[in-house]
Amino acid sequence: MGILSILLLIPVIGVVVLALIPREKASQIRYMANTFATIVLLLSCWLVIDYNQLDSGLQYYEHFIFNPKLESAFALGVDGLSLPMVVLATLLTSIALLASFTITSDIKSYHINILLLEMGMLGVFLSQDWFLFYIFWEITLIPLFYLISRWGGVRRHMASLNFVLYTMGGSIFMLVSLFAITQHMPEHAGTLMSSMSAAAQSMPEDKQLWVFLGFLIGFGVKIPIFPLHGWLPLAHVEAPSPISILLSGILLKMGSYGLIRAIVMLPEAAQVMQPTLVFLALFGMIYGGILAWRQADLKAMVAYSSVSHMGVILLGIATLNFTGLSGAVLQMVTHGLVAGALFLLVGLLYERTHTRNILDYSSLVRVMPRFTLFMTITLFASMGLPGTIGFVGELQVVIGGFQQWGYLVVFLGLSILISSAYAMRTAGMLFTGPVKPQMREIEDLRIPELLAASILVAGILLFGLWPSSLIDLSAVTIDDLNAVISQRLQ
Amino acid sequence: MDFLVVLLPLLPILSAMFIGVSFMFNGQASDEREKKTAFIARGAITVMSLFALMLLAGDLFGLNSDHYVVGEWLINKNLVVELSFITSGFTVVVAALFAIVLAIVTRFSTIYLHKEPGFVRYLFIFSLFSCGMMLIALSGNIVLTFIGWEMAGLCSYFLIAFAYNRSVAVINATRAFVTNRVGDAGFILGIALTFVYLGTTSWLELNSNAGELSVTLATEIALCFAIAAFAKSAQLPFSSWLARAMEGPTPSSAVFYGSVMIHSGVFLIILLQPLFEQAPLVMMLLVAVGLMTALYSFIVGLTQTDVKSSISFAITGQIGLMFVECGLGWWELASVHLCAHVVVRGYQVLSSPSLVFNGNGNPMLPVSPMVRHMRWLYNSSLQRFWLDPIIDRTLINPTLDLGKDLDYFDTTVVDRIMGLPSSSVRAASSLVQLENKTRAEESPLAIDEFVRSNGVAGKIFEWAANIMGWFEERLVLKGIGIDMVDMGRQLGHAANNFEKMLLKPIYPTLFGIIVLLIAASL
Repeated sequence: MGILSILLLIPVIGVVVLALIPREKASQIRYMANTFATIVLLLSCWLVIDYNQLDSGLQYYEHFIFNPKLESAFALGVDGLSLPMVVLATLLTSIALLASFTITSDIKSYHINILLLEMGMLGVFLSQDWFLFYIFWEITLIPLFYLISRWGGVRRHMASLNFVLYTMGGSIFMLVSLFAITQHMPEHAGTLMSSMSAAAQSMPEDKQLWVFLGFLIGFGVKIPIFPLHGWLPLAHVEAPSPISILLSGILLKMGSYGLIRAIVMLPEAAQVMQPTLVFLALFGMIYGGILAWRQADLKAMVAYSSVSHMGVILLGIATLNFTGLSGAVLQMVTHGLVAGALFLLVGLLYERTHTRNILDYSSLVRVMPRFTLFMTITLFASMGLPGTIGFVGELQVVIGGFQQWGYLVVFLGLSILISSAYAMRTAGMLFTGPVKPQMREIEDLRIPELLAASILVAGILLFGLWPSSLIDLSAVTIDDLNAVISQRLQ
Repeated sequence: MDFLVVLLPLLPILSAMFIGVSFMFNGQASDEREKKTAFIARGAITVMSLFALMLLAGDLFGLNSDHYVVGEWLINKNLVVELSFITSGFTVVVAALFAIVLAIVTRFSTIYLHKEPGFVRYLFIFSLFSCGMMLIALSGNIVLTFIGWEMAGLCSYFLIAFAYNRSVAVINATRAFVTNRVGDAGFILGIALTFVYLGTTSWLELNSNAGELSVTLATEIALCFAIAAFAKSAQLPFSSWLARAMEGPTPSSAVFYGSVMIHSGVFLIILLQPLFEQAPLVMMLLVAVGLMTALYSFIVGLTQTDVKSSISFAITGQIGLMFVECGLGWWELASVHLCAHVVVRGYQVLSSPSLVFNGNGNPMLPVSPMVRHMRWLYNSSLQRFWLDPIIDRTLINPTLDLGKDLDYFDTTVVDRIMGLPSSSVRAASSLVQLENKTRAEESPLAIDEFVRSNGVAGKIFEWAANIMGWFEERLVLKGIGIDMVDMGRQLGHAANNFEKMLLKPIYPTLFGIIVLLIAASL
């Protein structure tokens, strides 16, 4: 059993252990869940250290055929694309658990669901077989559905149903596309990503386009691409804060990760669709930004800013060149850290004041200096200020986009302008202004919250000042992917 | 002296009409009107009983011919319904007996119900009932008998619901009436079969031609009339209506369920003696049902604690024995039993209130040691062998469900197609739904004052933001997201309803019946 299987297995063991603990022992349950999440996090950190950055292929590869008829395999592996995602997933799960101390009802099932969700997310990023990927992709829905509909806000039922219906609806298209590719597979070729990639080349051009469209819908719902983002505002606003962290931090990345894999598989179709993708990306960016600017609800503001930032990622992917793809991967990490931190901080604030309306706040800097520090840095990162990680990703996407389309990227600039508008306004309205009597007695961040927030903010600053460590991690793999794409496109 | 027979049903119906018409013109209750009404009803029914005695005397002295035809009521090709009466034999005896009992009870009632509200109504119904009973007893035509049969049933319904402001009385009346209608269905089918097989609707012709019928046909006809008789005489499985019928005023209970109407079932069987002798299977059925009812009534009667229900079970028990006698071919015995039972039971029910008074303090008779320790029997007896719940479960509830389903179909499909306005109750059928609806309409998006900018760029920006906000709210969030969930929910409800409908046993049963009917018609 390889290290990746162990990585997947630990959350499952955690679930079993939690299941055995009686439900009354709340602190024990929290402690165990945090322990298991930390073990997974440390293991993934060790993976980063041990990972050979110069090798573009799959590492720690495991292969075990579980369905001999279809030759579907339990194939796991990491490359430069999935490794940052794996670490992000384990990190944000730990952070979400640290932020979960305010959840007080049904703690046992809550933690079991989070560990299951972690297992599903890791599975998505680790699996190297499309059907295994699909299974993990669907597994994540189950715990998320319960997490939103049981511990969410007032309209949680509507939100969770909406979320599941949208995602299921999208993944049906993905499944159909996968089946369409298997039609062109030789006998007993299995459903490995590499072998399906080879099969996709042999497909006729028009069919490739349809298949790519299916993938685009399936992953586009998750990213989300405008106009498939209808589930996102509801789900993000209604989900409990720790789940919002996971939703925007990792779940959205599953979509863009899958889309990159699909593009590597079908570059010709992607090139045909390139103008559409660019339009959707630019429009979604501006659309999300303007709507974020329009929100008085803090959580809704962060949710729409997610739409805007994911547009940047889509733009990076759509460039189909090295700089753009590298920027997209960087932006995925960026958004994971920034949106995670924003949701964490907004959630912590909400627990203290029980209002999400930004008009109710003012002058928080007097009572919550630590909160103010972290929130300000995160907001700066979200508008892409140099010195934070947000700048690096956006810069690369701008460069990649400029190489491809020239001055069209001015719209990206516009979107960055809009994002700074709402970020600055939020900072201003939260921290400055006259002192309101109801905002006088608010507790500043406690130790576990401080730990969680400082890890994320440290990441934002560290990678902002020293981005090469992150770029190098995935550079070789992205170079390789780019080589495959450009070779196929000639 | 045959012509007298016409007067027997005529007098009470004239009395009823007179009471009814005068009531229509002056509904005021007063002592004077009570006296007048009592005089008319009592007079008419007493005279009727005198005529009945004269008719009996005429029959005894041999002055009557066998039957007396007044005229034809309905002629339609072969179907001829005569207004004819039987004027000899057992029917005349029974008619005289019934008439005397009716006369006595009328007298009793005028005293018993003195100054009660509904006095006039009671006597009106009572007169009508007397007419019906005379028709049953004397009519020479099946259709005419059926008219009397229905009049008696209807009057029974009216009198059980005499205190119509009490819902229990009305429910019991409806239940008794509907149970009787089951028997009526048998009666009507019997009429039809008689006409089809024998081409006549006359009792005398039916009886004289019964010998020519094959056993199968005789069995069919006899079975129909037997069902009618079972229902009217409260035999199993119809027995439960009798205990409910005791709801009415005591004199009416006495005459309807103690002595007169309850015996019309047995009377019908005795009247159709030649037909039944042609159908041995039905005779066996008579024995079986009668015996079972007698046993049932005996066991249930042991545990009754109020006088009226214990008498009611005694009645069904005795009548069950009469059915047994008929079934065994002891027709004479059954006739004598009937007449004797009319007299004794009529007296017993009439005096039942004073029976309680007089018998106060008398020790209860202990039950026989054989059954003393049978707890299950005691329980079953207390529950009257669950007859009512079984009927509810198997017949009434499925019918109600069917009604509900049809109503649902009517309101949701037919009314909508016709464009009738749906009721306001349905529009917001529950508060929760309404709340959900308003909650869904609450926008998660911004307040408009919050979105204000200055300057040209700011205004353009604000304008774009408002358009996009509208688009997001109306189309993306509501149009796709929330409406999708709502529509799914509606579809789910519809599917659930459909599934529920399929699972009801009534639909497979209906389907089976339809298939059988089609198969039979082929």
